[in-house]
Amino acid sequence: MKKTRIAVFVLILVLALIFLFPLYIAVLMSVKTAKQTFDSFYALPSSLDFSNYLHAWQTSKFPVAISNSLIITGLSVVLIVLVSALAGYSIARRNKPFYNIIFLLFLSGMMIPFQVTMLPLYKLGKTLHMLNTHWGIILIYGGFGIQMGVLFYTAFIKQISREIEEAATIDGCSTPGIFFRVILPLLKPVTATVVVLNALYIWNDFLLPLLYLQDNQYRTIPLQQYFFFGQYSSDLNLAFAYAVMGMIPVIVFFLLMQKFIIKGIAAGAVKG
Amino acid sequence: MGNLQRALRKEMWYLLFIVPGVCLFIMAVVIPLIMGARYSFTNWDGVSNKFAFVGWDNYVKAYQDPGFWAALGNTAKYALILTLLVNVFSLLLALVLDAFLPLRNVFRTIFFLPSVISIVLSGFIWSYNYSTGIPQLLSHFGLDVTSPLGNPDYALFGLILVALWQGIGSPMIIYIAGLQGIPQELSESAKIDGAGVWKSFRHITFPLLAPSVTINLLLVLTGSLKVFDLVFVTTNGGPGFATEVVSTYIYRTSFSSFQGGYGMALSMMFFLILVIVTVVQMSISRRREVEM
Repeated sequence: MKKTRIAVFVLILVLALIFLFPLYIAVLMSVKTAKQTFDSFYALPSSLDFSNYLHAWQTSKFPVAISNSLIITGLSVVLIVLVSALAGYSIARRNKPFYNIIFLLFLSGMMIPFQVTMLPLYKLGKTLHMLNTHWGIILIYGGFGIQMGVLFYTAFIKQISREIEEAATIDGCSTPGIFFRVILPLLKPVTATVVVLNALYIWNDFLLPLLYLQDNQYRTIPLQQYFFFGQYSSDLNLAFAYAVMGMIPVIVFFLLMQKFIIKGIAAGAVKG
Repeated sequence: MGNLQRALRKEMWYLLFIVPGVCLFIMAVVIPLIMGARYSFTNWDGVSNKFAFVGWDNYVKAYQDPGFWAALGNTAKYALILTLLVNVFSLLLALVLDAFLPLRNVFRTIFFLPSVISIVLSGFIWSYNYSTGIPQLLSHFGLDVTSPLGNPDYALFGLILVALWQGIGSPMIIYIAGLQGIPQELSESAKIDGAGVWKSFRHITFPLLAPSVTINLLLVLTGSLKVFDLVFVTTNGGPGFATEVVSTYIYRTSFSSFQGGYGMALSMMFFLILVIVTVVQMSISRRREVEM
């Protein structure tokens, strides 16, 4: 029994190293010069050299891209949380056909793949002057995100006892008052789930920014990287420095939020 | 009178609460879908404001288009192989990492890590690893390999490997959550009754894990049928037509060859196929869950 355990452990360890290998190569490339890479591919450089990073920072519009990513991801997530919590509250508390039909519409919307609506969305964005703006893409992400968000919030609010709300009504609290002062604070666990799932998706999304944010000033990190890699395909060490720079924020987010992400994915599976 | 007024006001608030959600949904989903359905019956080029209705012509053309069928074939191959591999690997990992193993939380983090980086990044990193990193490593063992992404016979498998690397995280978490929901006593009593590891997995763990299997198969299958980013940033459909999938084919038709109306007809057919796959798969899995 002990032998099998050790064997399994070694096997998993090897697999983990294989999983980390591509990332190791990326980091390795980013701290070496082209000549060092050519001389000895796998060797660590004799001295750490961050000039690639400095150069990548200067040639790319990294600060612009990261602030675009932060603004778009942050505001989209806030919008999704607020709008789906409000809608979920109505659906959960008014158990009437009208609300249930809306709920079903949201649900069936999740079946529609993005590719099916991308051309009309582009056309719509052009007509409404939503291209190359922050608010345009945020509204679209909002429309996508609330479908799952409403599902989560409705299920969660249905489990909250109505007694607290009734007590608040007797105390003279209005419906918005009840929502913002009584219900919203109770929604923290499900909000954490909605936030992490949407934040990861929006932060890494490529196709919608490709359609909506062609202008250099508005590109998010993945899109900026896509163009950067195309432009600097000959200077790979520089490109890898940029790749690692773009990887750091999301990996830090993941390590900090790991607990919530894991909970969110497990919860999402049950709801789905 | 006051009561009625209060009830009305309350009802109005509930209605008001749902308005923002409905508006966003209509703008981002309903209107584009209706627009798309309408365009699919026109000869719209995707750019101009002029178009004429052509009836079912686009759908007939799609049916006769060898490019669409080839892309569909590639997509099906990619999706089926990937779904199988992801589920086998993530289930095995979940079984090992759910049981006692030193450093299992560290391992979970490592296997999940690739799923949080963007596909643009992983595509870039892997393209390089395929072309230089791995050949360099294998050359130490006297093996001479070239990037699979440049070879029409292996390009699709090269992409599947990248997607496997990035796709194991979430299914693994779902399997681990499913395993933790299975009471320990069941497998313990099976052990006492003399069941081996395989038998207790086959007859106890796996049947009880059926809901997780269903959801993972569905999520990975529908997700991989929709693959776009990975193909777009690495091979862009090539070499030749070897990795052209439905999404990239639609993108090319709509945005590069200026056949917006035709692209929309392809999109609608693709949507229909996805709905059929989802419904069929759900009904098969649900029936199996009941039987077990």
